[in-house]
Amino acid sequence: MSGQFASERWINFFTSYGNEMLQAFLRTLSISIIALVLALVLSIVFGVMSMSKNGLARAISRVYVEFFQNMPLLILVFVCYNLFPLINITLEPFAIGCIIIGLYHGAYIAEVVRSGIMSINKGQFEAAYSQGFTYLETMRYIILPQMLTIVLPPTAVQAANLVKNTSVLAMIAGHEIMYAANSYGYSTLNYGPPLVTAGILYFIICFPISTWAKKLERKRDIALEGRGGER
Amino acid sequence: MSMIKTENIHKYFGENHVLNGVDLEIAKSEVVCVVGPSGSGKSTLLRCLNRLERITSGKIYIEGKLIEHRESDKNILKIDPKEVAKMCSELGMVFQRFNLFPHKTALENVTIAQETVKKTSKEIAEKIGLDLLEKVGMAEKANEYPSRLSGGQQQRVAIARALAMEPKIMLFDEPTSALDPELVGGVLEIMKQLALDGMTMMVVTHEMGFAREVGSRLIFMDEGAIIEEGTPDEVFMNPKNDRTRDFFKSIL
Repeated sequence: MSGQFASERWINFFTSYGNEMLQAFLRTLSISIIALVLALVLSIVFGVMSMSKNGLARAISRVYVEFFQNMPLLILVFVCYNLFPLINITLEPFAIGCIIIGLYHGAYIAEVVRSGIMSINKGQFEAAYSQGFTYLETMRYIILPQMLTIVLPPTAVQAANLVKNTSVLAMIAGHEIMYAANSYGYSTLNYGPPLVTAGILYFIICFPISTWAKKLERKRDIALEGRGGER
Repeated sequence: MSMIKTENIHKYFGENHVLNGVDLEIAKSEVVCVVGPSGSGKSTLLRCLNRLERITSGKIYIEGKLIEHRESDKNILKIDPKEVAKMCSELGMVFQRFNLFPHKTALENVTIAQETVKKTSKEIAEKIGLDLLEKVGMAEKANEYPSRLSGGQQQRVAIARALAMEPKIMLFDEPTSALDPELVGGVLEIMKQLALDGMTMMVVTHEMGFAREVGSRLIFMDEGAIIEEGTPDEVFMNPKNDRTRDFFKSIL
């Protein structure tokens, strides 16, 4: 091998930068986990609000979803990093990553939650209401548990997307995988090994999630078939 | 004092005038059977009573207390939502398609509202639940999920579930229409037992045999209005209105 992928380039990269890549990998992982938890919480809150009888709750949920679904992630990250300090809000790139990516994917998963709620038979709501359940109690005890199997596969797909999207933090010195790979390449003009390694690292996180999503999907379809006409 | 009283109820679904000035009064321990062609508004009337649908205009009293008063789809009566929920929970509802919670066992179906709405402890709720399942002949299936039960068995669990909230009035919305013929009898038998126990009941049904044997009053509805009412035998044997006569002719 020669050129960008010559063997000494690999050796140099791993010996001088292996530890940094590992740190960056762990940082990507922790940003992903925190952002995912935030996204899940937001998606349930806004997904439930989107089906509420209260018009204001529905409107707020709609605005949230439309805003984040129609705005490039990178702009949001740049605004937080470059503009917020001007109004005296200074956030670490780590925090910006967790919050913005959490908000961004929360909007997508909220839509998944909403379609999940819509897929539940209207009779389930009526049975709960006629027993004196409030809207929130109906969601908590009757609707959300039933839709878990339905929404889990598309949510897992979103989780994989979320991990990949943490790479935008490279633009604001996020010290995650993409940033680490890029800055090594930039300072050594040795781009091949760090970029390939970065790709492999993202793949290592995302592939199991996607595989899991497919497995869940198959299981769900079998379960729904089994439930048959009674739904 | 009447258990349920409605005054001049109207209900529109868009342009569709589904209830056209219904006045109804049901006394304690009465079993009122409502019959009529499909689209006559009988299910809607039932669903308006416990607010699954909101009336366009009119008044609804439960146990003499005004709980709903609307004109042109606007509330005239302002009432605490908690008060409303409490009133509505005094109306037990049994649905045509059972609507059991599929992720809960038969027993959990009967206990969850007690625990969630009434804050009954798990032990007491389970004891009440098992008693009720026993009453509807489903004690042996307490730990089965609804998907493993027949339609008739599901409907019996659904009746137990409604009874768990200790309703003063039971509303039945075509409770046997979705059942295979051989399963109808068991469900009707339980309803008959309830009636004998003195439960106030309003039953939308096509089961004329049940209406005549158990019903204390038969109401015939058409085009959103009560056309004729009286004792079941009276209405059934000697209908005064042409539409009533045509209807009975058509279902026999």
